[in-house]
Amino acid sequence: MSTHGSQDAGGGPPAENLDYRIAHLQDRLASGELGELGVRVEARGRAVLLTGTVPSAPCRDEIVRTVHEELAGFSVHSDLVVTEASCPDHAEELS
Amino acid sequence: MIRVAAVGDIHMGPDSQGVLRPAFETLPECADLLLLAGDLTRHGTPEEMRVVAREVQDLAVPVVAVLGNHDHHDDRPDEVTAILRDAGVHVLEGQATVVESGGARIGVAGTKGFGGGFVGRCAGEFGEPVMKEFVQHSRRCADGLRAALEQVAREGCDARIALTHYSPVPDTLAGEPLEIYPFLGSYLLAEAIDTAGADLAVHGHAHAGTEHGMTSGGVRVRNVAQPVIGRAFHVYHLPAREPAAAGAVAQQAR
Repeated sequence: MSTHGSQDAGGGPPAENLDYRIAHLQDRLASGELGELGVRVEARGRAVLLTGTVPSAPCRDEIVRTVHEELAGFSVHSDLVVTEASCPDHAEELS
Repeated sequence: MIRVAAVGDIHMGPDSQGVLRPAFETLPECADLLLLAGDLTRHGTPEEMRVVAREVQDLAVPVVAVLGNHDHHDDRPDEVTAILRDAGVHVLEGQATVVESGGARIGVAGTKGFGGGFVGRCAGEFGEPVMKEFVQHSRRCADGLRAALEQVAREGCDARIALTHYSPVPDTLAGEPLEIYPFLGSYLLAEAIDTAGADLAVHGHAHAGTEHGMTSGGVRVRNVAQPVIGRAFHVYHLPAREPAAAGAVAQQAR
C-alpha cells in the first residue's frame, strides 16, 4: 500500500514508475485468482517488501510468483506468513 | 459462564480443505458455540463455500456466521448462504438467532456491516448517487443489526453477542493504515450495538489490526480475523446474564 521509500516516485515514464506498478499489482492480486487484499506491498528503494498473512502455502507461492512477474527488474523480499490453524492455548475471561 | 469461540477471515479454497477441521473438532471441550465473522472464502464461489461447509458440518457445537466482502465477490450471496445453511450453520444478515448450548441460551445478532468510517472522519450521505448508496448500505446493515439485537434482548438470553464482518470501532484497526479505516468499518455499527445493548461484539476484516477494543458505550469488541489471532479460533468466557423479565417473547430467527 505505502510506497514511501521508492526512488521512482516521480519522473520517468509512467509505465516504469514503481508506485504505479505496485498499484497495478495490488489490483491484480485483489481481482485475480487469489482475491488477495491482505498483502502489503511497500517499496524500499529499488526493492519491494511483501508483508501479511495468507491462507495457505500455495497462496503464498502464487503471490510471490505474481509479484516477480508484475515487478520484473526489481528485487522482491517476502515476509509473508501462512495462517496458523492450531487450537488456542487459553481463553480470555470477560468479566 | 458462556464460552464463545470465534474466528473470521479464514479465506478457504480448494487447497485448504481439512486445515481447520482438527481444531474445530476440539470445540466441544472448550466452547459452547462457534462464531464465523465473514470472509469465509476467497471469492465467494459456491465451490469455495462448499469447502467451508464441509469444514464445519456436524460439529458438536452450534455454528453462527455472517458473510464478508469476499463472500460477495462472485455476486452469489444467496447461493453461498444456502450452502452454509444446508450444513447446519445459522447465517445472519440483519437477523438474530438463539442457540441453546452448554445449558445456556445465547443470542447472536449478525450483519456483514460495511464501511464509511468513524465519528469525525466518515463518509456522509451526500453528493453523487454512488456515494449516497455507499452510506445507505452501511446504514441498512447497522439498522438490521440494531433490530436483531433488540429481538435478542426481548428473548431473555444468558448472553447477547453482535457478530459482524466490518468493524464497529477504530480501536481494533490499529496496525492498519489510517487512510483505509473508512473501508474497514463504520461507527454506525457501534451506535447500533450501544443502542440495543450487547455483552460482546465480534468482527473480522482487518487482517493487520489488533484483537481488543471497546465501543464508546462500553461493549467489548474483539477482532477475530485469523491473521490477528494467529489460531484456528479464540475463546472468550462471558458471565451469564441475570434472567430477563418474565413474559419475554420467545421469537426465533426471522
